[in-house]
Amino acid sequence: MAVLDMGVAAHPKPNSHEARTAWGLAAPALTLMFLILLVPVIVAGVLSFTNYSLGNSGFDWVGTQNYERLFTRSTYEKMFIATFTYVVTVVPISVGLGLGAALLVHSMGRIGDIYKTIYFLPVMATLLAMAIAWEFMLHPTIGMVNRTLAMACGSWFEVIPFFANGCHDGFPLWLGDRDYAIWVVCFVGVWQGFGFNMVLFLAGLTSVHRELYHAAEMDGARSGWDRFWLVTWPALGPTTVFVVTISCIRAFQVFDTIEAFWPQGAGPNKSAYVMMFAIFEKGVQQNLIGIGSAITVLFLIFVMFLTLIQRWLVERKVHYG
Amino acid sequence: MTDLEVTSLTKQFGETRVLKGVTLGIEDGEFVSLVGPSGCGKSTLLRIIAGLETADSGTVTIGNAEVTNTRAADRNLSMVFQSYALYPHLTVAENIAVPLRMREMTSVQRLPVIGGVMPGARRQKHSISQSVARAADMLEIGPLLGRKPGQLSGGQRQRVALGRALVRDPAAFLLDEPLSNLDAKLRVQTRTEIAELHRKLGATFVYVTHDQVEAMTMSDRIAVMMDGEILQCATPEIIYEDPDDIRVAEFIGSPKINILPIEQSGAELYLFGRPLKWRGIGESTRAMQMGLRPEALRLTKSAPSFKGRVAHIENLGAEIFAQIALNDEGLRVTLRASPADRPMVELGAEVGLGFDVDSALIFDADGKRMRKIEVMAGLTPEAA
Repeated sequence: MAVLDMGVAAHPKPNSHEARTAWGLAAPALTLMFLILLVPVIVAGVLSFTNYSLGNSGFDWVGTQNYERLFTRSTYEKMFIATFTYVVTVVPISVGLGLGAALLVHSMGRIGDIYKTIYFLPVMATLLAMAIAWEFMLHPTIGMVNRTLAMACGSWFEVIPFFANGCHDGFPLWLGDRDYAIWVVCFVGVWQGFGFNMVLFLAGLTSVHRELYHAAEMDGARSGWDRFWLVTWPALGPTTVFVVTISCIRAFQVFDTIEAFWPQGAGPNKSAYVMMFAIFEKGVQQNLIGIGSAITVLFLIFVMFLTLIQRWLVERKVHYG
Repeated sequence: MTDLEVTSLTKQFGETRVLKGVTLGIEDGEFVSLVGPSGCGKSTLLRIIAGLETADSGTVTIGNAEVTNTRAADRNLSMVFQSYALYPHLTVAENIAVPLRMREMTSVQRLPVIGGVMPGARRQKHSISQSVARAADMLEIGPLLGRKPGQLSGGQRQRVALGRALVRDPAAFLLDEPLSNLDAKLRVQTRTEIAELHRKLGATFVYVTHDQVEAMTMSDRIAVMMDGEILQCATPEIIYEDPDDIRVAEFIGSPKINILPIEQSGAELYLFGRPLKWRGIGESTRAMQMGLRPEALRLTKSAPSFKGRVAHIENLGAEIFAQIALNDEGLRVTLRASPADRPMVELGAEVGLGFDVDSALIFDADGKRMRKIEVMAGLTPEAA
C-alpha cells in the first residue's frame, strides 16, 4: 500500500499524453463493445415505444402502448403462463436431477464415466433433430410412447386411473393436447438439460476436500445425509448458484423445441407460447418490430434480475474457498 | 481408562505391503508418537486405528472392546488432520461444536428452523455452547469464535482443529502430522503447547510425525516405523541411547549417527585394520558396524583411535559440527565440538579422534544390535 501511495503522490495528475494513448488503445475494444452489445439493446429499447415495421421509411411514437398490450391481452397472459410454467418446472428438476446424477456418478469408479457419457449425450445432440425424434415417439397412434403404454392394458396397471382412462378412451394426444403440450416441452427440456448440470456439479464435486469427509466421519456424521449437509452441499454452494442461474437463463430462452413441435402456433391453443417464440412470431414472422422489441426488453429485464440475484447470493450468502 | 491395542495389523495397497503385521499397545494417558520416513505406513496405521481405513488382517482394541469392524464414527476417537479439515462454511464456534451436535443432538434437532423448537433443543444448545467456550478458553481462541476458517492464519486453524478434537471427551486423540503446515517458529511453540495439553488432559495421544524432534520432545514413548514395521517402541531416551536396530539409530538423532565398519578376525575386533581393545564372541571372521553419536567422538592428540581431515564445518554458535573425512573413499564422520575447540577444527586440518567404548553401539552386518560385545567392551581394557 505504501508503495502505491507514494506512486500516486509522485504523479498527482496522469500525463495528458499518457491518458490520450490509453484511451486510444482502449478505443477499438470500447467501440466494438458499444456497437455490438449496447447499441442493439438501446435500439430495442427505443423501438419498443414505436410502431416500426421493417421496410417502413418512418415510424410513429406510440408511447407505452406496446407494454400496455403485453399486460392486458390474453395472448400475452398465455405467454407469461407458459414461460413461467416452463422455468419453474425445468429449473428445479434439471438442477435436482443434475445434482443427484453427479453424486451417483461421482461415487462410482470407472463405470461412472459410462454414465457420464450417456447423460451428456442429449446435451451434445442437436435439439431440433431430437425434437423431431420426440415428435415421432409421441405420435398419438403410431408413436412408441402410446404403444408402450397400451401394452399395460389388461394388466393390473389398470388400477391406476391414468391407465384405466387411457385404455378406455385412448392415451393422450401429447403434443396435440393443450393440457399436456407444455409439460411435454418441459420434459424434453429436463431430458436435454440435466446432463449439462450434472457435468457442472461433477466439476464442483472434484473440488471438495476428501479429508473433510473423514473429519465428518470422525465427528460422528454417520449417515450419508449428515455428510451431505455438513460437507458436500456447502462446498457446492458456488456451483449451485451458477447452475441455477444458467438453467434459469436457458429456460427463459427455450425456443427450438417449440419451433420444431409447432412451427405455426406454439402448441394447441397457444399453450406453449413462450417468450422467445413470441419475439420470433411478432418481430420476425409478423414484422411487428415494436411489440417484438417490447417483449425483448421485458426478457432482458428478467435475465438481468436473475443475474443480480446471483451476484447478491454470491457476495452475501455463498461461501467461496 | 483406555488401553489402545493393535495386533498383527497388515495392509496392502495393490502390490505394496504398507503394514507387515504391526503390533502396538498404548496405555491409558500415554503420549505415543509414530515416527518414520514418509511412506513407512505410519499414517495408514493411524487411519486404521481411527477406522477410516480397514486392515486386511489383525485387530484393533480400544478399552477391552474390539473395534476392528466398528465404523470410525462409533469408535469415540478424535482426530486432528494434517490439513486441519475445518468446515469452510462454518464459523470457528460452529466448527468446534460439530462433534457435539452430531453426537448429542438428534437429526431432527439439528434441522435449521424446526430444530430450534424441538423439546430439549435449547438446553442442548446451551450446554454445547458452554463446552465450545471451555475448549476455546483452553486454547485461547475465544476472540476468533465468530470468524470463518478462511480468515484465520495457519496456526489459528491448527488450534481450531485441536479445539474440535478436544471439545468432546474421546477415548483417545489421534494427531496426523498436525504441525507440518506451520512455520518453524510456530511449530516449536505449538509442540510445547500440545505436550502441555496432554499433561493437562491426561488423555491418550497417538501422534504421527516424520519429524524426530517432535517425537523426541513430546512423547512418553516413540514407535519408530520403517517399511511397514515397528522397529522399536520405547521411551525417547532408550530410542536414542539404546536402539535395537541400526535404522532406528540412523533415523533418530541430528546430525545422523556415524556408522563405521569394523571386523572381527579371530577373537579380535579391528577398526580400519587397527585392533580395538575389545574381543568378539567366539572365533570367526565377519563384518560388523559400529555406531558413534557425534557427541561420543572427541578431539584428541594423544593416541587417537583414527585420524581424518576436516572437510566441512557447521558452526551453530553453541556447538560446532565438523565433518571429518577419514579416507579418500569419502567415508566421513560428524563430530560435535564445543566452541573452545574452534582453533583445532580448521578446514583441511588433520585431527585425531577418540571415543568412549561405553558410548559405541555395535551392530551386526544386517544392522541388528549386538549387546553382548558391548557388555564385554564395558569391562576394563585389561580384562578384555
